[in-house]
Amino acid sequence: MSKVTYTDLDFIEGLKHNNDAVLRALYKKYYNLVLKYVVNNSGNSESAADIYQETLIVLYENVQKPGFELNCQLQTYIFSIAKRLWLKQLRKNGSTFRFKDDQENEVVDVTDEITDHLKKESDIEKMNASLEDLGEPCKTILKDFYVYKLNMDQISEKFGYTNSDNAKTQKYKCLQRLKRSFFED
Amino acid sequence: MRTTNLFDNYLFGTISNQDKLDFEARLKSDTEFALAFEKHRTLIEGLNQHEQRLNIKQIFATIHQQEFGKDAKIISIKEGFVKKHGKTVAVAASVAVIAVISTMTILSTGGYLLKQQSNAITDLKRDVNELKYSQDAIIEGISGLGSARPKKYAPANIEGTGFALNNKGYFITSLHMVKNADSVFVTNSVLERVSAKLVATDNALDIAIFKMENSEVLEKTIFPFSFNNHHSEIGDKVFTIGYPRKDIVYGEGALSSLSGYNNDTTMFQVSIPVNPGNSGGPLMDEQGNIIGVIRGKLSNAEGTGFAVKSDLLKQVIDSLKDETLKTELVLNTKKSSLKGLKRSEQIKKMQPFVFNIMVYKK
Repeated sequence: MSKVTYTDLDFIEGLKHNNDAVLRALYKKYYNLVLKYVVNNSGNSESAADIYQETLIVLYENVQKPGFELNCQLQTYIFSIAKRLWLKQLRKNGSTFRFKDDQENEVVDVTDEITDHLKKESDIEKMNASLEDLGEPCKTILKDFYVYKLNMDQISEKFGYTNSDNAKTQKYKCLQRLKRSFFED
Repeated sequence: MRTTNLFDNYLFGTISNQDKLDFEARLKSDTEFALAFEKHRTLIEGLNQHEQRLNIKQIFATIHQQEFGKDAKIISIKEGFVKKHGKTVAVAASVAVIAVISTMTILSTGGYLLKQQSNAITDLKRDVNELKYSQDAIIEGISGLGSARPKKYAPANIEGTGFALNNKGYFITSLHMVKNADSVFVTNSVLERVSAKLVATDNALDIAIFKMENSEVLEKTIFPFSFNNHHSEIGDKVFTIGYPRKDIVYGEGALSSLSGYNNDTTMFQVSIPVNPGNSGGPLMDEQGNIIGVIRGKLSNAEGTGFAVKSDLLKQVIDSLKDETLKTELVLNTKKSSLKGLKRSEQIKKMQPFVFNIMVYKK
């Protein structure tokens, strides 16, 4: 099998469409860049992997936005996000270590991306807490219906309700509980 | 329930054109209705966002595991430490690990080296000699002779953990970590790189006691630990905090045995995942008593750590010949100020007294 090389644009398209092979190639391509940076700035491979994965999530979620446009090299974009995330992490841990400034890699302003990401992060965190509160089978019923668009007959069968009306009532109750927990906590 | 169904149908587009127009008209005229719909929409969007995030997280984590999982640690050493500190550190670090395991073997035979033919023992001998040599080096370094010597080797460093014995600047760490040391510095969230002098060692227990140059910050802070002589039992919950990396890391587990490697009664065995940098860290019980000093782990078993019993620490201090030092090193045996606190609170109060030890070598 010949080796495929992807352009920045290929990567963006792959991210948009969740293309497994492209995601994997992307992951491999810039991991060492971020690893090197984090490890050289008082991190280890574990924290580097966390930061890199979060970076790619920021990228992934930005790419999904309508009208997303990459105005610099993908490498620069990824590095800039990773650097900001790692700095944030260091500050959060109250690290007193002086930060070694990196001259090797160019950076672009990703303030908006980071701000959006943090907001989204806290929303997801909140939803996660509410869902944990809710427990099963509610969690799965709601996801099946609202995310995976299963119909009530399918849900009824999956969860062993005697008919789809019972499943519907259950789903309604679950949603009400989630609503209470999500908006009132 | 009817309203919810209506919302769902509108969102899913399973609604007739006429109903859709009616729905949109109502959104404009009925603010309560519009608000309820907005909540519904936010919730559904949140559910989708949550699921999408879980999925993409899973995808990247899986790729990482498959592509870099096994080698992640090796990469870290290659890319990070060697580049930063030169080859010596990687070598020194591996020697340090051998030293932990090997000193345990010594202890298990009552302080005398039995004749054995395995390679590990051969290695061990050399390490023990090195250990002795390094103590000399430390003492030399302190007395000022060390710094006058020309630099023969590139500077390298090893890092680990130590914790305070009181708030007068005395702290303890593992001897194997500071072997061959030229100078030792400590740092944490409240201390900005303070240098420290070696004041006492115990070879058999692998402990070293230091005094830091300046402990003003700590003197103003309540000393959190107690060295209360109590009875620990198998199954007691224990925890440690330390610096296996530059950020402080918490680890918890249980006391798995009242003796260490090869039934060594000077140590506890604990089920805490410990890493090289954890050496010298405090082993705590739930009430905030120091019950041990983290020493090492079994090289071939994860989650099996060993800690030197803190009771023995008192004996070491009692046996010191320097009377001034002895009076300065009185350990707190009153109730720990950590007792009854939530774990996160305990850790907060402990943090100023747990140090990242930085060992510099010639």
